[in-house]
Amino acid sequence: MKGKKFLALVMAAAMTMSLASCGDNSGDASGNSGNTENAGDSGNTGNTESESSSEPESQSGGETNADTRYIYKDAVNLLASNWSVHTYRTADDGYPVDYIASGFYDFVYNDEYHPVEGMDPFTGYTIVPLMAASDPVDVTAKIKAEHPEYGIPESATAGFAYTIDLNPNAVWEDGTVINADSYVYSMKQLLDPKMKNYRATDYFDGDFIIAGAKAYNYAGRDAFFEVAAAAESIDDLTVGDDGFYTLSDGSAVYVALTDGLEWLGGNTLADYVNAYGEAYFGVEDFNALQGMADENGHVQLNEETLAHIVGVITTVADWGETEADAVNYLVYGVPFPECDYDSTVGLFKSGEYQITIVLENSLSGFNLYYNLAGPTWLVKEDIYESCKRFDGDAFTSSYCTSVETTSSYGPYKMTEFQSDKAMHFVRNENWVGYADGQHTYVDPTDGETYDMYMTDEIDTQVVSESSTSKLMFLKGELMGYGLQAEDFDTYRNSEYAYATPRTTTFFFIFNGYLDAIKEREANDGFDQTKNDLETMTLQSFRRAVAVTYDKELFASTISPARKGGYGLIGSAYVYDPDTGAKYRDTDQAKQVLCDFYSVNTAEYSNLDEAVASITGYDPEAAKELYTQAFNEALEKGFITDNDGDGISDQSISIEYAMGDDPNDFMTKTINYLNEKMADVTTGTPFEGKIQFVMSANYGNDWDKKLKAGMSDTVLAGWQGSLLNPFSIIRLYTNGTDQQYDYQWFDASKISLTLELEGESITMNLRQWSEALLGSTVKVGENEYNFGEADADVDTRLTILAALEGQILQTYDYIPMLEDASMALLSQQVFYVVDDYSPIMGRGGIAYMKYNYNESEWAAYVAEQGGELKY
Amino acid sequence: MGKYAVKRILLMLMTLFIITFMCFVLIRMLPLANLPLGDPHSDVILARREAAGYNKPYLVQFGIFLKNIFTKGDWGVSDVLYFGQEVSAVFVSKLPATIIVNLYSILLSIPIGIILGILAAIKKNSWIDHTISTLTMVCISVPSFVYAFVIQYFLSYKLGLFPFLMKAGTDWFSWKMFVSMLPAVLSLSMGVIAGFTRTTRAELTEVLTSEFMLLARTKGLTKTQATVRHAMKNCMVVVLPSIFGEFVGIMSGSLIIEKIFSIPGVGQLYLNSINGRDYPMFTMLVVFYTTVGLAASIVVDISYGFIDPRIRMGSKK
Repeated sequence: MKGKKFLALVMAAAMTMSLASCGDNSGDASGNSGNTENAGDSGNTGNTESESSSEPESQSGGETNADTRYIYKDAVNLLASNWSVHTYRTADDGYPVDYIASGFYDFVYNDEYHPVEGMDPFTGYTIVPLMAASDPVDVTAKIKAEHPEYGIPESATAGFAYTIDLNPNAVWEDGTVINADSYVYSMKQLLDPKMKNYRATDYFDGDFIIAGAKAYNYAGRDAFFEVAAAAESIDDLTVGDDGFYTLSDGSAVYVALTDGLEWLGGNTLADYVNAYGEAYFGVEDFNALQGMADENGHVQLNEETLAHIVGVITTVADWGETEADAVNYLVYGVPFPECDYDSTVGLFKSGEYQITIVLENSLSGFNLYYNLAGPTWLVKEDIYESCKRFDGDAFTSSYCTSVETTSSYGPYKMTEFQSDKAMHFVRNENWVGYADGQHTYVDPTDGETYDMYMTDEIDTQVVSESSTSKLMFLKGELMGYGLQAEDFDTYRNSEYAYATPRTTTFFFIFNGYLDAIKEREANDGFDQTKNDLETMTLQSFRRAVAVTYDKELFASTISPARKGGYGLIGSAYVYDPDTGAKYRDTDQAKQVLCDFYSVNTAEYSNLDEAVASITGYDPEAAKELYTQAFNEALEKGFITDNDGDGISDQSISIEYAMGDDPNDFMTKTINYLNEKMADVTTGTPFEGKIQFVMSANYGNDWDKKLKAGMSDTVLAGWQGSLLNPFSIIRLYTNGTDQQYDYQWFDASKISLTLELEGESITMNLRQWSEALLGSTVKVGENEYNFGEADADVDTRLTILAALEGQILQTYDYIPMLEDASMALLSQQVFYVVDDYSPIMGRGGIAYMKYNYNESEWAAYVAEQGGELKY
Repeated sequence: MGKYAVKRILLMLMTLFIITFMCFVLIRMLPLANLPLGDPHSDVILARREAAGYNKPYLVQFGIFLKNIFTKGDWGVSDVLYFGQEVSAVFVSKLPATIIVNLYSILLSIPIGIILGILAAIKKNSWIDHTISTLTMVCISVPSFVYAFVIQYFLSYKLGLFPFLMKAGTDWFSWKMFVSMLPAVLSLSMGVIAGFTRTTRAELTEVLTSEFMLLARTKGLTKTQATVRHAMKNCMVVVLPSIFGEFVGIMSGSLIIEKIFSIPGVGQLYLNSINGRDYPMFTMLVVFYTTVGLAASIVVDISYGFIDPRIRMGSKK
């Protein structure tokens, strides 16, 4: 009987609970946002409850508690697990940092309070001190004289050392003072050689290099780096008297057997050899190397070991590498002697509220401020010390992995965190920016003055499925929703849709490696009477493909957030950060496109109109070019027309290198390419003879296959630095394995003559790109340097445009898409400025304004029937 | 029974030790995650591997592993997924969400499943039986994530009855938390309900046609009395162990359901740890679930004795 009663009780309880809950319409239908009205419960507006950490204010005279807070409700795919500025690795982990940390300086829009001469409000930006009290002061001469240990060059007069007066009002969220000692302590911890902090390299591997930072960080150990980053080939190495190879600076060079190498997509040579053995590698050579390896898996390079590594990668032809590729399997070691922080690192206290920073390379103007505007390296000493854990030589820190181990000096502070679930931030009332008088603006619409950071709280939760994000957004529970391909037809013209441009231009790279193609055709399985690959190396064929596709239509079909791409350098790149001027808007850049797409500029009233006429699509020209390619291919013996019907006997099957399993995007892409190709080739000798096919899944090796000529095309691109269009061009000319076509295009063999400042200068493309990046290039008796410090910007733009034009003319790269994303913004909020700015974006959360507070929003959503229309 | 239980527990410990050792060695034999050259984390991970004895014989490594567990309660530090955090702390912080969602699911599923099974058995070959059996087959055949999306769309989006996601926080037994879990609970329950229904129906149908049921009726018991007093009891010999089995599985999270409803549970840990080659995490999970599995088998075996006194475990007679 007891059992029966218990069973009945359990059943009754479960049923009651489930029924009761189904009937419950209390105000927490929004889930984690905690306090929005259940959208389906229109009858209860005004009765919402807040469960969040801060209490809503009572509405005087009303019967209900109105929630007057402004809460930004965000969703992420992956939640940060470690957001320490010393150790975080990924963008996901860095998510909280922008809220809880600040920079020495801050970028704000220009307005009445922050005027910029000659610019209308909210069309530019200005830089204001934040954690700093004033602008940095250049003390290069003084430091050079007083601190020779930092190695400031004798000739240097400015840009190498600065003092920064610190804002004495800056404090941690609990009111603890932040002074010069805080910065020095934090930098000491960051660079401490025992701790091996991931973010230490931020201060010696980029533009902002603190003197001695690397030496201290690596103190007392050998560090190994890939030779390919320092030398282009084995020939660039030096052979010593002892027969061992070194770099030009004397660093010893080793064959790396067990290091993850960029060339192998982060895998080790040992992994590959173990996995594929004799099918691809010279295993005997590998075993010989293994027998000589030290405990690090390194074998010092001499003639014997070089022969072995060459043997490993070239014994089996299917691996597709030559002796020249051996350099990618080498590392060099740099010994770093023991040293101490105080006599080594160029960051020290020069006053209670003043630090001095000494740099290894000069930095000034915009770039200096830009580097000082991001979150600093500050950590809170008491928490940081309590989070340390050493296991032998291994250091672990739990700093910034929970609310308790986190302290903020930014505009918001963390109040809740649940791993892989949610985090919550509230306004950090102790943030220095709220009271510094700099963080206010005059609204361009109503002319009123407002404080920045209208948002009171930020609620972030993990939403893994985009379908769930969409439903939540339409219910008013999220502030934004990134449009997916299937959403574009519905939402692309919505007034709430915002497009954000990216720097990447995606282009088709076409296989031009004739030797590799011939090898593929010589394989037993390849039937040359039915198939051909060589024709695709003809420039006429590539030009035909280039005008076969309407790029805007291509973009709208396969990836509607993106737009057609026409040049190698996308329209987002800014060459002058002060004015926001873009490379693609210059006359030089426009002319390049007109030349490449054969637009007669004389037929248009100006270059803008000429450029606007470019679609990249010309089916008639394509048909002519396919016919021309057919004739050339016949002549060269690539194809045959034995029956004399004017149609190629062979089909051209262009293999698309897949880096993943087929997905919706890839299927759409391939289908589109084949469909349009079939349309355009109708009536040509290649009618029905050209098709794109997906390769097997090459994983991370897709680019390797392409560069080795073992696969034929892919849609790929480079993501460059938004504010530096000049640097990206070297990826097309430097002749290393970074260059997709380095096996069949040698930029050092293509000459380019430019008239610059009355002088006619001829150099090869690689020399031009090196000179553009600031290297001094010697041609005959003349030396040329067109770096930022040595040439005016107009000259540099001319060189850049000329290089872009020359590379486009190879037709190795056919621009197709410019990257962008598009998202819907909730009706609850709006941006002060709609137009996207490369420097300011749209102002971010600082300039975000609210149409409704939480109570009003709940009422509004209910009024709309619980389902918002965008 | 006590002696039997002690014997089983001792055997379990021995089995656990052997399995743990085998798994440990196999895991240590797996290729290690590649460490990018020049990445400071690589140095940290290398130092940890050194401390864990990676360059020593497997027996020594296993000794270090056991010593750290028994002397410091240290299962290691995550190398990849939760870099620098103790794997045991991460796991423990995630376990409650999984347990509670599964617990609610079982509590909902058992009564409904058994009731439907009984109904189908009693009304065998009627339209009720056919309907229940058909629905059972549908529920078993359709994966739980399909229910998840359907429930999320209709109950959360269209009707607004539930939140889309599980509520954040650790107030596991609050009403709001319970309500926020219901979509996940319902999604998980469909298959479980169907399972119990099918088992109960099959067992009860068999029992109801037994000769002793005829005897019970001829003794003058009504059909209900005979079913409740005799048929159910016999039927439960099979059903109850499966209930115990469900409770044992309570600590295994559902990867898909936890993802869809943003449940901060352990569902994704297993797969992510092996995919990410986070071996300290994976080793701990293997040992934990092995322990749970072995313990569960003992509990289920012993439960037979309690359910049906005719079954005597370990009895020599």
